[in-house]
Amino acid sequence: MVAGAERVERVELLEQMWEGRPGILGWFTTTDHKKIGLLYFWTTLVLFGAGGVEALLMRTQLAQPNLHVVSPSTYDELFTLHGMTMIFFFIIPMTTGAFGNYLLPLMIGARDMAFPRMNALSYWIFLGSAIFLYVSLALGVAPDAGWFDYVPLANHRFNPGRNIDFYCLAIIFNSIASTLTAAQFIVTIFKSRAPGMSFNRMPLFCFAFLAASAGLLFALPLLSADTIFLFLDRNVGTHFFDVAHGGSAFLWQHLFWMFGHPEVYILIVPAFGIATEIIPAFTQRRVTAFPLVAIAELLVVFIGFGVWAHHMYATGMPTITAVFFGAATAMVIIPSTIQVFAWCMTMVLGTAEFRTPLLFIAGFIFMFVMGGLTGIMFVAIPFDQTVTDTYFVIAHFHYIIFGAAVFPIFGGMYYWFPKVTGKLYFERPGQISFWVLFVGTNLLFFPMHIVGLLGMPRRNYTYPSDLGWSSYNLAETIGGYITAAGILLLIGNLFWSYFRGPDAGPDPWHGATLEWTTSSPPPPYNYAVIPKVSSAYANWDKADRAADREKLARGILVLQAGHQQVEVTPVDGTLDQIVEMPHESPWPPLLALSLLLVFSALVLGKFGLAGIFGIAAVLTLFGWHSREPQES
Amino acid sequence: MTPRTRHARLLPLVGLVAVLTGCNEEQSSLAPRSHAASDIASLFWWMMGVSWLGLGVVVCLMLLAWRRAHRRPGHEPKEGEQLAFRIVIGAGIVFPIVLIAALFVISDIFVIKTTQAPAKEATRLTVEVIGHQWWWEVRYPGTTAVTANEIHIPVRTPVRLEVRTADVIHSFWVPRLNRTIDTMPGRTNAIELYADAVGRYRGQCDEFCGLQHAHMGFYVFADPPATFRAWLANQERPARTSSGLAGRGRQVFMSASCETCHTIRGTQATSDVGPDLTHVASRTTLGALTVPNDRSHLARWITDSQALKPGNQMPDMQLPGSQVRALVAYLEGLR
Amino acid sequence: MTDYAAATIARRTGPPAAWWGMLMLIASEGVLFAAFIGTFFYLRFNDPAWPPPGDPEPKVVVPLIMVAVLTTTSPLMHAAWRAVRDGRVASVRLFLVASLVVQSGYFAYEVHDFADQVHRTPISTDAYTSAHFVLLGADHGHVFVGILFNLWLLWKLARGITPYRANALQAIALYWHFVVILTWAVTGAVLSAAVG
Ligand code: HEA
Ligand code: HEA
Ligand code: HEC
Ligand code: CUA
Ligand SMILES: [Cu+2]
Repeated sequence: MVAGAERVERVELLEQMWEGRPGILGWFTTTDHKKIGLLYFWTTLVLFGAGGVEALLMRTQLAQPNLHVVSPSTYDELFTLHGMTMIFFFIIPMTTGAFGNYLLPLMIGARDMAFPRMNALSYWIFLGSAIFLYVSLALGVAPDAGWFDYVPLANHRFNPGRNIDFYCLAIIFNSIASTLTAAQFIVTIFKSRAPGMSFNRMPLFCFAFLAASAGLLFALPLLSADTIFLFLDRNVGTHFFDVAHGGSAFLWQHLFWMFGHPEVYILIVPAFGIATEIIPAFTQRRVTAFPLVAIAELLVVFIGFGVWAHHMYATGMPTITAVFFGAATAMVIIPSTIQVFAWCMTMVLGTAEFRTPLLFIAGFIFMFVMGGLTGIMFVAIPFDQTVTDTYFVIAHFHYIIFGAAVFPIFGGMYYWFPKVTGKLYFERPGQISFWVLFVGTNLLFFPMHIVGLLGMPRRNYTYPSDLGWSSYNLAETIGGYITAAGILLLIGNLFWSYFRGPDAGPDPWHGATLEWTTSSPPPPYNYAVIPKVSSAYANWDKADRAADREKLARGILVLQAGHQQVEVTPVDGTLDQIVEMPHESPWPPLLALSLLLVFSALVLGKFGLAGIFGIAAVLTLFGWHSREPQES
Repeated sequence: MTPRTRHARLLPLVGLVAVLTGCNEEQSSLAPRSHAASDIASLFWWMMGVSWLGLGVVVCLMLLAWRRAHRRPGHEPKEGEQLAFRIVIGAGIVFPIVLIAALFVISDIFVIKTTQAPAKEATRLTVEVIGHQWWWEVRYPGTTAVTANEIHIPVRTPVRLEVRTADVIHSFWVPRLNRTIDTMPGRTNAIELYADAVGRYRGQCDEFCGLQHAHMGFYVFADPPATFRAWLANQERPARTSSGLAGRGRQVFMSASCETCHTIRGTQATSDVGPDLTHVASRTTLGALTVPNDRSHLARWITDSQALKPGNQMPDMQLPGSQVRALVAYLEGLR
Repeated sequence: MTDYAAATIARRTGPPAAWWGMLMLIASEGVLFAAFIGTFFYLRFNDPAWPPPGDPEPKVVVPLIMVAVLTTTSPLMHAAWRAVRDGRVASVRLFLVASLVVQSGYFAYEVHDFADQVHRTPISTDAYTSAHFVLLGADHGHVFVGILFNLWLLWKLARGITPYRANALQAIALYWHFVVILTWAVTGAVLSAAVG
């Protein structure tokens, strides 16, 4: 058994090479994408709780007409923070930061992200921006002009406090983190795939994250530009949005929605990715119309850049412009319908086994179609102009966001739970949590369609009792609490399973992709051998997996000599070179800390101080780059 | 086929919503009282009907998957791929394109015309509405009439409504009569206001505009033409003179700084920070539909408006009870 | 080490991950500047007089000369990259220093000119000055970052070439090509106010 002994030795070497620093400190200096993914996961979960508590407070205030649970100004802060938190601090970091980070390198057979330290930096910056935003709440100056923050209401004349400065800076700060994540996802997908994984053999999950990353990369700067202008208007005296001095209030809206619409597809596309993983696993069938689905995932983001003005139909824009954007909006629907039918047909033709993850995906499809259909109704411009800014719109996007972006996150939490923890979750409570959530969300969001049509505008801290809205609102509030109970049940189930669940083994579902070939939880180096790939369903290719074991025995592509990873050519994924990866580093949290100080100084209007902290940030960067991977 | 019968035909489909909407319809876009709003409402009923069908198809597919799973153990990964591909193309590309193209043509080429603003001078009456944080100023160009929060129009007469803003973006919206229109800074937007029937139509500001966005409602009264003319003629007149207690109230008004914000035509009060009060007693509500306009609410509004409408731009006026009574008597007389 | 670096580069077929990473950064910065330039023109079409009466028209000749000068750094940076690829340490340093001189000269002049302009017509004058100065300021900021990059490179290269440093140089050269293009675009937008 010489070969066996050698194999053990190689794996031991790998372990030594990739082992991270133990203990708490290890979490600060880690560059392991799995650990960073977990950091993201816990942070965003807490933030989801915050956004959820804000939502429940709003719902409690609206349970009956003329209640005084919160004051009008608190209510304004609540819905603004709720929107910002859920979108910028929950869904995006949860999907890209947590799911993407943990799973993407595993699915493409890489040992880490292309830029591991940048990855860590993105987390720490994200954490800094979340702290920054919530400090504003503690100080009583939380943003309060809505998540799309229209000027002139958000400009200094009508909002002289620090509230909107926090809005601008929190968003810029947060988008640095998302941009870093997006940039390196793209590079990782281009360069770090396992040799043999040409684009047509890449799992659909990765297409989805490629699309989301590209969307983030191109959409966020538009928002940054917008918020920079607003910050300057408020603090330096520029006049970008000041009509009296040649500025324009439309400018804000155009830039915001040029970002904002792509953004909503960025929220949903990772959910598509999760669905396209769970469906094959629980139907034991390849997704039908694979190329169409892959293209649709990319196309939806691409077309999504051309429809932004459908959020502005009521501004009195020329009819011809409105009709143009109406037509574009009509086009953006097609990629979604393609995918819905591809998922459904896969489920019909495969052997669907409705365990909890697939239940969540079925719920997702239902909710997505519901929300998508109201989206289609907005193609009818006169109808949109009637229900815009009412609860009908709130219903549209909560169906599509909670139902279609969050349900797959829940499904994914169950699906990958065995991979991440090595334990199986409990099935029965899992299914109950699904049904509680399904009933809760529908009770929460369906009546919103009706009150919207009955004329209830959004962002109202209270409403009169004589317009027939009261009972619907009460139903919504009850639904909100049921939803919260469902989420607690879900989280409780996962906690319980973590401590008491049976062992899962490497591959409890006979999943389709590479992550199921390695142990649960995966070792720090992910794969002892850089895996061989010849289709998008690598775990089902038995011959390749046998070849991997063979290679480990013979020491091919084990790369135990250093902290190493392969790089491939971007399109056909042939092996290009072997590169040395950076080790753990204390610099990312330090850099994020200095940026937090920069932003804090900025929000106080102390530009000189901000400059000093900026210099500190640059020095940190020099420190960061002082040790090269090859030298250490 | 009128919109009414059309949606009566869809009733079985939409039973749930239709039944539930049977309650108060003062601000319901599903209880239209103009051709524009009717077109929009029937557009909605049709879209909703087709949507339930679309949802039904998808749900059926998933139920099918569930049934088949019970029937068939084992699997063959490639079986049926051809069929699936065709269904994806047909149901996922061709069918939606046809459907959405139809929707687009009907709504964005045809219906959109009926909701369009009439050209300048194309109507006999133009009304100007100016949004303020958080009330509506209403003017009748060509006359001296200025009022607030309660718009009167003649029934079955197209009116051109022009909206502007004095501060931030608001949105003018009377669901039963027409679509929404924003008040954009530095711009005048227009919309048609038309009512089929005499009556009161509730509207509300539809764009978040700050603290009291929730209390920025207004009424549109569609009056028979003669009533409307009488109303307008009354609004044009300066405030009537007053004596006795009301006369004292008038003095209080001029000395207690009310006149630094309000106009009462025919007096030296000419400020335009707050609503024009020349005929305040002819209005049915105070504070943009926040409270009814009666003696006790008027008194409370003057001394305690921050409790009724927290954060509104009128400070609580610290006045002794006798002065308040006089003020109320004065304002009550301003019909 | 230097030979090792050259050998590494010769072996691989495409640019390294660092270069791709820089490309992503550039893509995102490019959109940011597209938004800035778009805003400049959007406001212009809102406003019949551009620049509004009272604001000085932008100077034309000197800025054009200055961009032309800055453009020379693009070939210089490319030459530096070729030298690093072939392992010629001395020429790398030479080319880097040369472009650093040009860049710093450009930057010094532009900062001076910017301060001068702001002094005469403050940024808070109107929408035109807002868009004008933010555009220029952001561009100068990018030149400044590039200068920091080059300083850092020179400092690193003082101890010879490694694959890491070569990759960094390749990425930074890309950054400079981008800054040059950006500066042309920004100058073009700013000067457009002088015509029509
Ligand atoms: C995850 C986020 C997400 C997604 C995916 C979508 C998807 C869509 N959205 Fe939505 N939208 C939001 C989030 C999202 N939206 C948010 C947050 C807002 C409000 C922002 C704010 O104001 O605060 C908003 C607002 C919004 C508006 C502006 C409303 C207004 O303010 O007046 C419009 C207008 O066109 C619109 C349209 C659409 C369309 C056409 C789609 C389409 O992509 C939907 C496509 C999907 C389908 C079509 C489902 C598939 C259906 C079938 C397979 C059934 C059969 C098909 C047919 C019968 C055709 N959305
Ligand atoms: C991702 C997006 C997202 C999600 C998931 C939600 C989820 C919810 N939303 Fe919200 N919502 C928005 C995005 C979202 N929303 C946006 C963008 C707006 C517009 C804001 C604006 O107008 O500016 C909005 C606006 C909005 C309004 C309208 C406010 C108004 O206009 O006046 C309402 C009102 O009912 C509402 C309710 C809810 C409710 C009850 C939930 C519930 O589903 C929430 C349920 C969640 C929980 C109850 C959390 C439970 C979690 C835990 C308990 C975890 C704790 C665990 C640990 C700490 C370890 N939302
Ligand atoms: C600082 C400005 C200011 C002063 C002073 C002021 N008001 Fe007002 N007033 C307003 C504003 C603004 C509103 C509209 C509030 C709203 O609806 O949001 C208003 C509304 C009213 C209304 C309700 C009008 C309507 O149609 O809804 C009445 C009546 C009124 N004021 C009377 C008075 C009296 C009487 C005084 C003096 C004792 C007074 N106001 C002093 C600003 C002022
Ligand atoms: Cu005015 Cu909302
Ligand atoms: Cu949109």
